[in-house]
Amino acid sequence: MGFIVAFIWSFVLWLVLTAGTKGMLWSPQEIVAGVVFSAIVAYATRNIIGEKTARFLNPIRWVEFAIYCLGPLFWGMVKANFDVAYRVITGKIRPGIVRVPVDLENDAQYTILSNSITLTPGTLTIDACPEEKALYVHWIYVKEEEPKSSEPVSGSFEKWARRLGR
Amino acid sequence: MENDMGLIVKTMARATIPLIGIFGAYVVSHGHLTPGGGFQGGATIAGAGILFLVAFGLNEAKKRYDKNLYSALEGLGGLAFLGAAMLGLSVAFFYNILWRDKIAFAGQPGTLLSAGFLPIMNLAVGLKVFTGLVSAMMAIALFRRWKK
Repeated sequence: MGFIVAFIWSFVLWLVLTAGTKGMLWSPQEIVAGVVFSAIVAYATRNIIGEKTARFLNPIRWVEFAIYCLGPLFWGMVKANFDVAYRVITGKIRPGIVRVPVDLENDAQYTILSNSITLTPGTLTIDACPEEKALYVHWIYVKEEEPKSSEPVSGSFEKWARRLGR
Repeated sequence: MENDMGLIVKTMARATIPLIGIFGAYVVSHGHLTPGGGFQGGATIAGAGILFLVAFGLNEAKKRYDKNLYSALEGLGGLAFLGAAMLGLSVAFFYNILWRDKIAFAGQPGTLLSAGFLPIMNLAVGLKVFTGLVSAMMAIALFRRWKK
C-alpha cells in the first residue's frame, strides 16, 4: 500500500515538473521515464511514507485541502500579518508560551494544525505532545494564559485539521 | 537513546522525502537539457537521506542502511560511467558513438532521449554521488561517540 501511495505522490510531482514537453502536455518518453523513476523512488520510500496514507488519495480530501488553503488559511494569514504589522509599529506585545489542549487523533492532524498555527504570524508552535493531547504555542500577545481549547489561539483551524487528517 | 526529532518534523519528512527523491531524479535525468546534472541531482537525493537520518534518528537509519548494497551501487555507478565512455573506443576514448551513429538516445536535440551517452553518464554519476554521500554521512554519524 505504501508503494502505491508513494508512487502516485512522486508521479504527480514528476508530471508537474515536466509539464510543457509537448505543447502544454507531456511527451510519451517523459511519461515513461516518470513511471520508471517514480517506481524507483516509491520502492525506496515505501516504508517511510507512513501507514494508512492511502486515505490521502481520496479526491474529496484534495478538494477540502484546496478549499482550506484558499479560504480559511489564506484569510487567516492576511489578517494575522496586518496584526503583526500593527504590533511592530505600536510595540504592544505581551509574549508568552501557552499550553493549548487539542482533541486530535493522528500525526497528520497534529502536523496540519501545528503548521497552520505557525503560518499565521503571532503564533508559533514550539512542540506537539500527542501523549498529553496538547500543543505548546508561543504567542506574541497572550490574551488567555490557560486556554481551554484552541479557539482563542487558532480560530477554526482545529476543526479543519480534524477533518483533513481523519 | 532517543535521538529523533518530534512528531511534526517526522510527519513532514515522510511527505517530503519522496518529493526530494523525485526532484533529484528529475535533475539527474534532465542533465543534458536543464541546469543541473549528475552531481547536483545526486547531492539533492543524498539530502533526502540526510533528512531521513536527522528526522528519524540514527537507530532507524541504521536499520535501513546496508553498507554492502551502497558500496556495490557506488562501484556500479563508476563502472557505468566508464562503460559509456569506452563505447566508442574504436575511434577514441569518450567518442560519443551513440549519438554520431544514431544507435540510441539519438532523438531530436531538446527531447529526453537525445545527447547520446550523456543521460547514461548523468545517471551513473547521480547514483555514485548519492550512494557515496549517504555512505560518508552514515560513517560520520556512526562514529563512536562524543564522550569517553
